[in-house]
Amino acid sequence: MTHEQILELLPIHALDALEGDQLAEVDAHVSNCEVCSTELSTLYSVTATLTSDVPAPLGVWDRIEAEIEGESSSAKVISLEEASSRKGKGAMWFASIAAAAALIFAGLAVFQRGTINDLSGPEGVIVAAESAAEEPGAIVADFETDDGSVAQVVLSPDGEGFVLPADSLDPLDEDRTYQLWVITPDEQVISAGVLGNDPEPARFTWSGEVAGFALTRERAGGVISSEGDVVSVIEA
Amino acid sequence: MVEASITWGDLNRYDAEMAGRVASGDVSALEELYKGHGGAVASLAFRVLRDQALAEDVVQDTFVGFWKSPDRYDPTRGSLRTFLLTIAHRRAVDIVRSEEARARRELQPPEPDRFDLEDEVITRQLSAEVRSALDDLPEGERKAIAMAYFGGLSYVEVARRMGEPEGTVKSRIRSGMRKLSSSLQGVAT
Repeated sequence: MTHEQILELLPIHALDALEGDQLAEVDAHVSNCEVCSTELSTLYSVTATLTSDVPAPLGVWDRIEAEIEGESSSAKVISLEEASSRKGKGAMWFASIAAAAALIFAGLAVFQRGTINDLSGPEGVIVAAESAAEEPGAIVADFETDDGSVAQVVLSPDGEGFVLPADSLDPLDEDRTYQLWVITPDEQVISAGVLGNDPEPARFTWSGEVAGFALTRERAGGVISSEGDVVSVIEA
Repeated sequence: MVEASITWGDLNRYDAEMAGRVASGDVSALEELYKGHGGAVASLAFRVLRDQALAEDVVQDTFVGFWKSPDRYDPTRGSLRTFLLTIAHRRAVDIVRSEEARARRELQPPEPDRFDLEDEVITRQLSAEVRSALDDLPEGERKAIAMAYFGGLSYVEVARRMGEPEGTVKSRIRSGMRKLSSSLQGVAT
Protein backbone atom coordinates (compact mmCIF):
# COMPACT_ATOMS: atom_id res chain seq x y z
CA MET A 1 0.00 0.00 0.00
CA THR A 2 1.07 3.56 -0.63
CA HIS A 3 1.35 6.21 2.05
CA GLU A 4 -1.88 7.78 0.80
CA GLN A 5 -3.73 4.49 0.94
CA ILE A 6 -2.58 3.88 4.48
CA LEU A 7 -3.52 7.41 5.50
CA GLU A 8 -7.04 6.62 4.31
CA LEU A 9 -7.16 3.55 6.54
CA LEU A 10 -6.08 5.31 9.72
CA PRO A 11 -9.62 6.32 10.84
CA ILE A 12 -10.54 2.63 10.64
CA HIS A 13 -7.35 1.64 12.41
CA ALA A 14 -8.15 4.07 15.24
CA LEU A 15 -11.29 2.01 15.91
CA ASP A 16 -9.22 -1.20 15.92
CA ALA A 17 -11.31 -2.27 12.94
CA LEU A 18 -8.45 -3.56 10.79
CA GLU A 19 -7.11 -7.07 11.11
CA GLY A 20 -4.77 -9.60 9.53
CA ASP A 21 -2.21 -8.62 6.92
CA GLN A 22 -3.81 -5.21 6.43
CA LEU A 23 -3.34 -4.39 10.12
CA ALA A 24 0.26 -5.59 10.08
CA GLU A 25 1.09 -3.53 7.01
CA VAL A 26 -0.50 -0.36 8.43
CA ASP A 27 1.23 -0.82 11.79
CA ALA A 28 4.58 -1.32 10.11
CA HIS A 29 4.14 1.83 8.04
CA VAL A 30 2.92 3.95 10.96
CA SER A 31 5.90 3.01 13.07
CA ASN A 32 8.17 4.58 10.43
CA CYS A 33 6.01 7.47 9.24
CA GLU A 34 5.80 10.63 11.32
CA VAL A 35 2.82 11.98 9.38
CA CYS A 36 0.76 8.84 9.86
CA SER A 37 1.87 8.42 13.46
CA THR A 38 0.74 11.95 14.30
CA GLU A 39 -2.54 11.50 12.46
CA LEU A 40 -3.23 8.24 14.28
CA SER A 41 -2.53 9.85 17.64
CA THR A 42 -5.05 12.55 16.82
CA LEU A 43 -7.63 9.96 15.85
CA TYR A 44 -7.05 7.98 19.03
CA SER A 45 -7.75 11.13 21.03
CA VAL A 46 -11.08 11.39 19.19
CA THR A 47 -12.10 7.83 19.98
CA ALA A 48 -11.16 8.43 23.62
CA THR A 49 -13.84 11.11 23.83
CA LEU A 50 -16.47 8.43 23.21
CA THR A 51 -15.86 7.00 26.68
CA SER A 52 -17.16 8.75 29.75
CA ASP A 53 -15.28 9.10 33.01
CA VAL A 54 -16.93 7.13 35.80
CA PRO A 55 -15.53 6.16 39.21
CA ALA A 56 -12.89 3.46 39.06
CA PRO A 57 -14.02 -0.02 40.15
CA LEU A 58 -13.07 -0.44 43.78
CA GLY A 59 -11.70 -3.95 43.96
CA VAL A 60 -9.58 -4.16 40.83
CA TRP A 61 -6.87 -1.99 42.32
CA ASP A 62 -6.21 -4.71 44.90
CA ARG A 63 -5.55 -7.14 42.08
CA ILE A 64 -3.28 -4.73 40.25
CA GLU A 65 -1.33 -3.97 43.41
CA ALA A 66 -1.07 -7.65 44.23
CA GLU A 67 0.26 -8.45 40.77
CA ILE A 68 2.88 -5.72 40.71
CA GLU A 69 4.02 -6.16 44.30
CA GLY A 70 3.30 -9.78 44.99
CA GLU A 71 5.88 -11.54 42.87
CA SER A 72 8.41 -11.39 45.66
CA SER A 73 6.02 -12.14 48.47
CA SER A 74 5.77 -15.59 49.94
CA ALA A 75 2.49 -17.16 50.89
CA LYS A 76 1.93 -18.18 54.47
CA VAL A 77 0.05 -21.43 54.59
CA ILE A 78 -2.59 -22.12 57.18
CA SER A 79 -4.76 -25.16 57.52
CA LEU A 80 -8.52 -25.25 57.34
CA GLU A 81 -8.50 -26.70 60.81
CA GLU A 82 -6.42 -23.79 62.05
CA ALA A 83 -8.67 -21.33 60.31
CA SER A 84 -11.78 -22.91 61.71
CA SER A 85 -10.36 -22.96 65.20
CA ARG A 86 -9.94 -19.22 65.03
CA LYS A 87 -13.42 -18.64 63.74
CA GLY A 88 -15.11 -15.79 65.52
CA LYS A 89 -12.17 -14.92 67.70
CA GLY A 90 -11.27 -11.79 65.86
CA ALA A 91 -7.68 -12.88 65.48
CA MET A 92 -5.49 -11.48 62.70
CA TRP A 93 -5.21 -14.97 61.37
CA PHE A 94 -4.19 -14.26 57.84
CA ALA A 95 -1.47 -11.93 58.98
CA SER A 96 1.12 -12.26 56.26
CA ILE A 97 -0.61 -14.21 53.58
CA ALA A 98 0.23 -12.83 50.19
CA ALA A 99 -2.51 -12.90 47.61
CA ALA A 100 -0.22 -11.93 44.78
CA ALA A 101 1.03 -14.72 42.59
CA ALA A 102 -1.87 -16.96 43.32
CA LEU A 103 -4.48 -14.24 42.94
CA ILE A 104 -6.54 -15.71 40.18
CA PHE A 105 -9.59 -13.74 41.22
CA ALA A 106 -11.27 -12.14 38.29
CA GLY A 107 -13.80 -9.91 39.85
CA LEU A 108 -16.50 -9.52 42.39
CA ALA A 109 -19.11 -6.88 41.76
CA VAL A 110 -16.74 -4.15 42.74
CA PHE A 111 -17.92 -1.42 40.43
CA GLN A 112 -19.23 1.40 42.53
CA ARG A 113 -22.94 1.60 42.92
CA GLY A 114 -24.62 3.97 40.53
CA THR A 115 -21.98 3.65 37.85
CA ILE A 116 -22.21 0.65 35.57
CA ASN A 117 -23.79 -1.86 37.87
CA ASP A 118 -27.03 -1.37 35.96
CA LEU A 119 -25.53 -3.74 33.42
CA SER A 120 -25.27 -6.57 35.92
CA GLY A 121 -27.70 -5.87 38.73
CA PRO A 122 -28.37 -7.98 41.81
CA GLU A 123 -31.37 -9.71 40.25
CA GLY A 124 -29.26 -10.86 37.31
CA VAL A 125 -26.61 -12.19 39.69
CA ILE A 126 -29.20 -14.17 41.64
CA VAL A 127 -30.66 -15.70 38.49
CA ALA A 128 -27.19 -16.62 37.23
CA ALA A 129 -26.28 -18.09 40.63
CA GLU A 130 -29.40 -20.22 40.70
CA SER A 131 -28.57 -21.52 37.25
CA ALA A 132 -24.94 -22.22 38.20
CA ALA A 133 -26.01 -24.05 41.36
CA GLU A 134 -27.90 -26.56 39.25
CA GLU A 135 -24.87 -27.51 37.18
CA PRO A 136 -23.42 -30.95 37.94
CA GLY A 137 -20.35 -30.53 40.11
CA ALA A 138 -21.26 -27.04 41.32
CA ILE A 139 -20.22 -26.08 44.85
CA VAL A 140 -22.96 -24.58 46.99
CA ALA A 141 -22.04 -23.68 50.56
CA ASP A 142 -23.40 -21.48 53.33
CA PHE A 143 -21.49 -19.16 55.62
CA GLU A 144 -23.06 -19.79 59.00
CA THR A 145 -22.86 -18.05 62.34
CA ASP A 146 -24.75 -18.49 65.56
CA ASP A 147 -27.54 -16.56 63.86
CA GLY A 148 -27.75 -19.10 61.04
CA SER A 149 -26.77 -18.66 57.40
CA VAL A 150 -25.49 -15.16 56.60
CA ALA A 151 -24.41 -15.73 53.00
CA GLN A 152 -24.22 -18.42 50.37
CA VAL A 153 -21.40 -19.13 47.92
CA VAL A 154 -21.99 -20.82 44.58
CA LEU A 155 -19.13 -21.89 42.33
CA SER A 156 -19.86 -23.54 38.99
CA PRO A 157 -17.52 -26.19 37.55
CA ASP A 158 -16.24 -23.69 34.98
CA GLY A 159 -15.18 -21.27 37.71
CA GLU A 160 -18.01 -18.77 37.71
CA GLY A 161 -18.73 -17.83 41.30
CA PHE A 162 -21.43 -15.97 43.18
CA VAL A 163 -21.88 -14.60 46.69
CA LEU A 164 -25.44 -14.18 47.87
CA PRO A 165 -25.66 -12.31 51.20
CA ALA A 166 -28.63 -13.02 53.43
CA ASP A 167 -30.63 -10.36 55.23
CA SER A 168 -29.06 -11.62 58.45
CA LEU A 169 -25.63 -10.36 57.37
CA ASP A 170 -25.41 -7.16 59.36
CA PRO A 171 -24.27 -3.99 57.54
CA LEU A 172 -20.94 -2.63 58.74
CA ASP A 173 -19.88 0.96 59.29
CA GLU A 174 -18.80 2.73 56.11
CA ASP A 175 -15.13 2.42 57.03
CA ARG A 176 -15.42 -1.37 57.06
CA THR A 177 -16.09 -4.03 54.43
CA TYR A 178 -16.79 -7.71 54.14
CA GLN A 179 -14.16 -9.64 52.17
CA LEU A 180 -14.33 -13.10 50.61
CA TRP A 181 -11.39 -15.51 50.66
CA VAL A 182 -10.81 -18.83 48.92
CA ILE A 183 -8.92 -21.60 50.69
CA THR A 184 -7.14 -23.91 48.27
CA PRO A 185 -6.45 -27.64 48.73
CA ASP A 186 -2.82 -26.80 49.50
CA GLU A 187 -4.15 -24.55 52.26
CA GLN A 188 -3.35 -21.17 50.84
CA VAL A 189 -5.84 -18.44 51.67
CA ILE A 190 -6.37 -16.08 48.78
CA SER A 191 -8.45 -12.94 48.53
CA ALA A 192 -11.37 -13.38 46.18
CA GLY A 193 -12.71 -9.88 46.45
CA VAL A 194 -14.23 -7.07 48.42
CA LEU A 195 -17.98 -7.14 49.08
CA GLY A 196 -18.59 -3.72 50.61
CA ASN A 197 -20.04 -2.79 53.98
CA ASP A 198 -23.59 -3.78 53.01
CA PRO A 199 -23.08 -6.51 50.42
CA GLU A 200 -25.34 -7.20 47.50
CA PRO A 201 -25.29 -10.35 45.35
CA ALA A 202 -21.97 -10.37 43.54
CA ARG A 203 -19.94 -12.40 41.06
CA PHE A 204 -16.40 -13.70 41.10
CA THR A 205 -14.45 -16.17 39.03
CA TRP A 206 -12.01 -18.76 40.19
CA SER A 207 -9.86 -21.21 38.28
CA GLY A 208 -8.50 -24.06 40.31
CA GLU A 209 -9.60 -26.36 43.06
CA VAL A 210 -11.27 -25.07 46.19
CA ALA A 211 -11.13 -26.53 49.69
CA GLY A 212 -13.15 -23.84 51.40
CA PHE A 213 -14.15 -20.22 51.72
CA ALA A 214 -13.84 -17.61 54.42
CA LEU A 215 -15.72 -14.39 55.07
CA THR A 216 -14.05 -11.65 57.10
CA ARG A 217 -14.59 -8.06 58.15
CA GLU A 218 -11.83 -5.71 57.00
CA ARG A 219 -11.16 -2.02 56.60
CA ALA A 220 -12.96 -0.32 53.71
CA GLY A 221 -11.44 -0.98 50.31
CA GLY A 222 -10.31 -4.42 51.33
CA VAL A 223 -6.88 -5.82 52.10
CA ILE A 224 -4.47 -8.21 50.48
CA SER A 225 -3.80 -9.96 53.77
CA SER A 226 -6.53 -10.15 56.36
CA GLU A 227 -6.29 -7.73 59.24
CA GLY A 228 -9.79 -8.22 60.52
CA ASP A 229 -11.98 -10.77 62.20
CA VAL A 230 -13.53 -13.90 60.81
CA VAL A 231 -17.26 -14.06 60.24
CA SER A 232 -17.35 -17.65 59.03
CA VAL A 233 -15.25 -20.36 57.46
CA ILE A 234 -16.75 -23.16 55.41
CA GLU A 235 -15.39 -26.30 53.84
CA ALA A 236 -16.38 -26.77 50.23
CA MET B 1 -11.33 38.42 37.49
CA VAL B 2 -8.88 35.75 36.45
CA GLU B 3 -10.32 32.26 36.49
CA ALA B 4 -8.14 29.27 37.22
CA SER B 5 -8.15 26.72 34.42
CA ILE B 6 -6.25 23.63 33.42
CA THR B 7 -4.61 23.94 30.03
CA TRP B 8 -3.44 21.18 27.70
CA GLY B 9 0.10 22.11 28.65
CA ASP B 10 -0.67 21.56 32.32
CA LEU B 11 -2.27 18.22 31.55
CA ASN B 12 0.63 17.17 29.37
CA ARG B 13 3.14 18.01 32.10
CA TYR B 14 1.04 16.21 34.69
CA ASP B 15 0.84 13.06 32.54
CA ALA B 16 4.57 13.17 31.83
CA GLU B 17 5.30 13.58 35.53
CA MET B 18 3.02 10.71 36.46
CA ALA B 19 4.56 8.45 33.84
CA GLY B 20 7.97 9.34 35.20
CA ARG B 21 6.90 8.47 38.75
CA VAL B 22 5.56 5.12 37.56
CA ALA B 23 8.80 4.47 35.72
CA SER B 24 10.68 5.07 38.97
CA GLY B 25 8.57 2.43 40.72
CA ASP B 26 6.15 4.71 42.56
CA VAL B 27 3.08 2.55 43.22
CA SER B 28 1.14 5.51 44.62
CA ALA B 29 1.45 7.22 41.22
CA LEU B 30 -0.07 4.21 39.51
CA GLU B 31 -2.84 4.15 42.09
CA GLU B 32 -3.53 7.84 41.46
CA LEU B 33 -3.75 7.14 37.74
CA TYR B 34 -6.01 4.18 38.42
CA LYS B 35 -8.36 6.35 40.47
CA GLY B 36 -8.37 8.94 37.70
CA HIS B 37 -8.68 6.73 34.64
CA GLY B 38 -9.62 3.26 35.88
CA GLY B 39 -13.31 4.01 35.60
CA ALA B 40 -13.07 5.09 31.97
CA VAL B 41 -10.94 2.06 31.13
CA ALA B 42 -13.43 -0.24 32.88
CA SER B 43 -16.37 1.42 31.22
CA LEU B 44 -14.88 1.04 27.75
CA ALA B 45 -13.80 -2.55 28.32
CA PHE B 46 -17.21 -3.48 29.68
CA ARG B 47 -18.97 -1.81 26.79
CA VAL B 48 -16.93 -3.82 24.29
CA LEU B 49 -16.96 -7.12 26.16
CA ARG B 50 -20.32 -7.05 27.98
CA ASP B 51 -18.75 -9.23 30.64
CA GLN B 52 -17.72 -7.81 33.97
CA ALA B 53 -15.07 -10.39 34.79
CA LEU B 54 -13.41 -10.04 31.37
CA ALA B 55 -13.62 -6.25 31.59
CA GLU B 56 -11.90 -6.27 34.96
CA ASP B 57 -9.19 -8.51 33.52
CA VAL B 58 -8.63 -5.92 30.79
CA VAL B 59 -8.43 -3.14 33.37
CA GLN B 60 -5.86 -5.12 35.33
CA ASP B 61 -3.85 -5.98 32.20
CA THR B 62 -3.88 -2.35 31.09
CA PHE B 63 -2.53 -0.88 34.31
CA VAL B 64 -0.09 -3.69 35.00
CA GLY B 65 1.14 -3.36 31.41
CA PHE B 66 1.69 0.36 31.93
CA TRP B 67 3.51 -0.37 35.17
CA LYS B 68 5.86 -2.74 33.39
CA SER B 69 6.44 -0.56 30.32
CA PRO B 70 5.67 3.08 31.11
CA ASP B 71 8.10 4.20 28.43
CA ARG B 72 5.61 3.08 25.80
CA TYR B 73 3.67 6.23 26.63
CA ASP B 74 4.85 9.31 24.74
CA PRO B 75 3.41 12.52 26.27
CA THR B 76 3.98 14.38 23.02
CA ARG B 77 1.49 12.08 21.29
CA GLY B 78 -1.47 12.70 23.56
CA SER B 79 -2.87 12.25 27.02
CA LEU B 80 -2.25 9.33 29.29
CA ARG B 81 -6.00 8.76 29.42
CA THR B 82 -6.09 8.30 25.66
CA PHE B 83 -3.07 6.00 25.82
CA LEU B 84 -4.64 3.77 28.47
CA LEU B 85 -7.97 3.65 26.66
CA THR B 86 -6.22 2.74 23.41
CA ILE B 87 -4.37 -0.13 25.07
CA ALA B 88 -7.51 -1.36 26.81
CA HIS B 89 -9.61 -1.17 23.66
CA ARG B 90 -7.19 -3.19 21.61
CA ARG B 91 -6.99 -5.83 24.34
CA ALA B 92 -10.79 -5.99 24.57
CA VAL B 93 -11.08 -6.28 20.81
CA ASP B 94 -8.59 -9.14 20.80
CA ILE B 95 -10.78 -10.97 23.30
CA VAL B 96 -13.95 -10.27 21.34
CA ARG B 97 -12.38 -11.50 18.12
CA SER B 98 -11.14 -14.66 19.75
CA GLU B 99 -14.65 -15.27 21.07
CA GLU B 100 -16.05 -14.43 17.65
CA ALA B 101 -13.73 -16.95 16.07
CA ARG B 102 -14.76 -19.59 18.56
CA ALA B 103 -18.42 -18.83 17.95
CA ARG B 104 -17.96 -19.14 14.19
CA ARG B 105 -16.23 -22.46 14.62
CA GLU B 106 -19.12 -23.70 16.68
CA LEU B 107 -21.55 -22.37 14.07
CA GLN B 108 -23.23 -20.14 16.59
CA PRO B 109 -25.30 -17.35 15.11
CA PRO B 110 -23.93 -13.81 15.52
CA GLU B 111 -25.24 -11.87 18.47
CA PRO B 112 -28.10 -9.52 17.76
CA ASP B 113 -27.33 -5.92 16.98
CA ARG B 114 -26.30 -4.30 20.27
CA PHE B 115 -24.17 -1.41 19.21
CA ASP B 116 -26.54 1.53 19.14
CA LEU B 117 -24.78 4.63 20.35
CA GLU B 118 -27.95 6.42 21.22
CA ASP B 119 -29.75 4.30 23.77
CA GLU B 120 -26.84 3.65 26.07
CA VAL B 121 -26.77 4.92 29.60
CA ILE B 122 -23.12 5.61 29.15
CA THR B 123 -23.76 7.89 26.21
CA ARG B 124 -25.82 10.12 28.45
CA GLN B 125 -22.73 10.62 30.58
CA LEU B 126 -20.69 11.95 27.69
CA SER B 127 -20.09 15.66 27.47
CA ALA B 128 -22.55 17.83 25.62
CA GLU B 129 -19.97 18.50 22.92
CA VAL B 130 -19.47 14.80 22.25
CA ARG B 131 -23.18 14.06 22.24
CA SER B 132 -23.75 16.93 19.84
CA ALA B 133 -20.98 15.74 17.53
CA LEU B 134 -22.46 12.23 17.51
CA ASP B 135 -25.95 13.57 16.88
CA ASP B 136 -24.68 15.46 13.86
CA LEU B 137 -23.39 12.31 12.16
CA PRO B 138 -25.57 10.61 9.55
CA GLU B 139 -27.07 7.41 10.94
CA GLY B 140 -25.03 5.12 8.68
CA GLU B 141 -21.76 6.70 9.79
CA ARG B 142 -22.70 6.68 13.44
CA LYS B 143 -23.77 3.05 13.31
CA ALA B 144 -20.66 1.88 11.46
CA ILE B 145 -18.40 3.61 13.97
CA ALA B 146 -20.37 2.23 16.92
CA MET B 147 -20.35 -1.33 15.61
CA ALA B 148 -16.62 -1.21 15.04
CA TYR B 149 -15.60 0.60 18.21
CA PHE B 150 -18.06 -0.74 20.77
CA GLY B 151 -18.72 -4.05 19.09
CA GLY B 152 -15.05 -4.80 18.52
CA LEU B 153 -15.79 -5.73 14.92
CA SER B 154 -13.53 -5.37 11.92
CA TYR B 155 -14.85 -3.16 9.16
CA VAL B 156 -15.26 -6.32 7.08
CA GLU B 157 -17.54 -7.81 9.72
CA VAL B 158 -19.40 -4.52 10.11
CA ALA B 159 -20.08 -4.57 6.35
CA ARG B 160 -21.32 -8.13 6.52
CA ARG B 161 -23.67 -7.41 9.39
CA MET B 162 -24.95 -4.18 7.84
CA GLY B 163 -25.39 -5.88 4.48
CA GLU B 164 -23.31 -3.17 2.82
CA PRO B 165 -20.25 -3.36 0.55
CA GLU B 166 -16.94 -3.13 2.43
CA GLY B 167 -16.03 0.00 0.51
CA THR B 168 -19.19 1.72 1.66
CA VAL B 169 -18.48 0.94 5.30
CA LYS B 170 -14.88 2.13 4.98
CA SER B 171 -16.11 5.39 3.49
CA ARG B 172 -18.68 5.87 6.24
CA ILE B 173 -16.15 5.29 8.99
CA ARG B 174 -13.63 7.64 7.35
CA SER B 175 -16.22 10.33 6.84
CA GLY B 176 -17.64 9.99 10.34
CA MET B 177 -14.27 10.02 12.02
CA ARG B 178 -13.19 13.10 10.08
CA LYS B 179 -16.32 14.92 11.18
CA LEU B 180 -15.80 13.88 14.79
CA SER B 181 -12.18 14.91 14.63
CA SER B 182 -13.16 18.30 13.30
CA SER B 183 -15.99 18.95 15.72
CA LEU B 184 -14.18 17.62 18.79
CA GLN B 185 -10.89 19.45 18.36
CA GLY B 186 -11.38 21.29 21.63
CA VAL B 187 -12.40 18.18 23.56
CA ALA B 188 -9.99 15.52 22.36
CA THR B 189 -6.70 15.23 24.23
